[in-house]
Amino acid sequence: MAIVKKYKAKVEEIKNPFPDIYTVTFSSDKRFQFLPGQFLHLALDEYDGIGQWPESRCFSMQSSPIEPQITITFSIKGRFTKRIADKLYEGKEVWLKLPYGDLFSQAHSLNNCVFIAGGTGITPYLSLFTDGSFAKYVKPVLYFGARSQQYNIYNKELEKTKIINYGISIKTFYENIDGFLKIEEIFNDYGNLATYFISGPPLMIKSFKNFLLSKELEEKKIRTDEWE
Amino acid sequence: MNHKEIRKQILGLTTQYYTERFANEKFEKGKTRVNYAGRVFDEKELVNLVDAALDFWLTEGRYSEAFAEKISELLGISNVILVNSGSSANLAAFSALTSEKLGDKRLKPGDEVISAAASFPSTVTPIIQNNMIPVFVDVDIPTYNIDINMMEKAISEKTRCIFLAHTLGNPFDINAVMKLAKEYNLWVIEDNCDAFGSKYRGKYTGTFGHISTISFYPAHHITTGEGGAVLTNDEQLAKIIKSFRDWGRDCYCAGGENNTCGKRFSQQFGTLPFGYDHKYVYSEIGYNLKMTDMQAAIGAAQIDKLPMFCKKRKENFNRYNQIFEKYSDFLILPEATEHSDPAWFSYIVSVKEDAPFKRDQIAKYLNDNLIETRNLFGGNIVRQPAFIGKDFRIAEHLNNSDYIMNNTFFLGTYPGITREKLDYFESTLDNFIRKY
Repeated sequence: MAIVKKYKAKVEEIKNPFPDIYTVTFSSDKRFQFLPGQFLHLALDEYDGIGQWPESRCFSMQSSPIEPQITITFSIKGRFTKRIADKLYEGKEVWLKLPYGDLFSQAHSLNNCVFIAGGTGITPYLSLFTDGSFAKYVKPVLYFGARSQQYNIYNKELEKTKIINYGISIKTFYENIDGFLKIEEIFNDYGNLATYFISGPPLMIKSFKNFLLSKELEEKKIRTDEWE
Repeated sequence: MNHKEIRKQILGLTTQYYTERFANEKFEKGKTRVNYAGRVFDEKELVNLVDAALDFWLTEGRYSEAFAEKISELLGISNVILVNSGSSANLAAFSALTSEKLGDKRLKPGDEVISAAASFPSTVTPIIQNNMIPVFVDVDIPTYNIDINMMEKAISEKTRCIFLAHTLGNPFDINAVMKLAKEYNLWVIEDNCDAFGSKYRGKYTGTFGHISTISFYPAHHITTGEGGAVLTNDEQLAKIIKSFRDWGRDCYCAGGENNTCGKRFSQQFGTLPFGYDHKYVYSEIGYNLKMTDMQAAIGAAQIDKLPMFCKKRKENFNRYNQIFEKYSDFLILPEATEHSDPAWFSYIVSVKEDAPFKRDQIAKYLNDNLIETRNLFGGNIVRQPAFIGKDFRIAEHLNNSDYIMNNTFFLGTYPGITREKLDYFESTLDNFIRKY
């Protein structure tokens, strides 16, 4: 893992398209350094840069490493995310600590990659999809499930993705129209030669992973982005 | 006064203390020892050290982060893992290649590893400690680096890795080594402990191999007292190296941190119960080789001086060349590897076989006159007591390594060697050789 650095960062922009979903952009005097698919820790409390790191929580980087600012998107899931939603405002200074995680840096074939995302779980993929390194993937597939069409707030990034890798196949499922993503159907389409990346609600990750394991897929071909 | 004001006062006094205690050390010919190496510092190192002590964070902290970041930026390597010595760096680097996480690429007991016999032991001992077979290849004189032709012939079906030092700051033939590594699918560890700041074809040494190591022992290019670092651009290797450094644990939280991975209580490892605390999950047979924040604080100040230190080492090397040139009938003078720009660790000299004096005579004379010399570490390392009876293979012969063991010594080029010291050295050497 690259050197973990602490960044005093400023909240540049907060978007709140739905009551429980927030997209936040941070800037810092120091250049952010991370790889696609990695995550950061965000702390709200005062910190002098010396002693005990304060309470913090993990968030995937949504922006690509080439961008000067970092963007994350989160939905309110518990006490800490509620607190973040309440306390963050544009101009506020916070502490970020990054990078962590190895979602895409573990060795994997660049052929037959299937990316499965539920809701804000798409964010770690976006950091890869909007990075030049994504051009090397051969015929990647994205299955993206959102509550409804209006919850698909990632069109701008996905358009950019198509420019970086025009071989990508994007399959969007809206729960109110298409129902939930179905791992059985995805597996039927791509079988056990594919590498499956899964990111989204913990229950979805768990059930999809268990299904794939039950199909005797090698564990190294199942990559998940999950936290407690 | 509050604690911030007290700290400010202490750090101010520390600067003053430096000036009083260290700033005006004088050299007196024949009275002051001309060390072959030593720490060179100013008030910044002392202030950082005291500052870190006042933090009392003790283990990896803000100075470790700053120091690692500076090394990373200088060399353009994404992962810098600080450890407690250069030898620990070599141990962690080599051990990491035995990890089962590397699958078929991992090193296994009985595999052969190419190295040089004229070397420092801790370039070689990790190979033996991991139950593998060092294959000793002879070196070239006057570069004192591995003989590439012999090296290629030494590669067998069992060879899996090349583990080599840039001898005394002089880069080995990196292009040739990397070409062979590619051709035979071998790992390369660059032991850069004596060469931090050296360049090969315009690029820093320590940036070519899969992994490289640095030492911060006081004799080296910069110091943290004891200390070292392991460097790699490979994210998977970095994680494994960090695990070997930190007891073999799977968790990568820094000291005092919890649940950095966000999965502390929700993973399955081995046959442990599901959700066993990740902090105490061990996926490697590791060590505890961490650096303290006080050491890193010194390093964070030292590294800013590296360009100046390297410049001074090169100047001193050139001055030695001038001094020794007139005695080239008796002595073999060192040569930089082609396409390299060494930040010389030292000035290495071999006494010619037909010279009227022996290495030990000149070394004794210089040491009697308070000028320190050193042999090229272990000489021919296979003749060291610790290596007798161990499993290793010698490629062809080690004639030059034996020659070095009997006839070679080196002198300090470190930035503490001043013009006055070199002038004194020249007159002392003249006095010795005049007798012959």
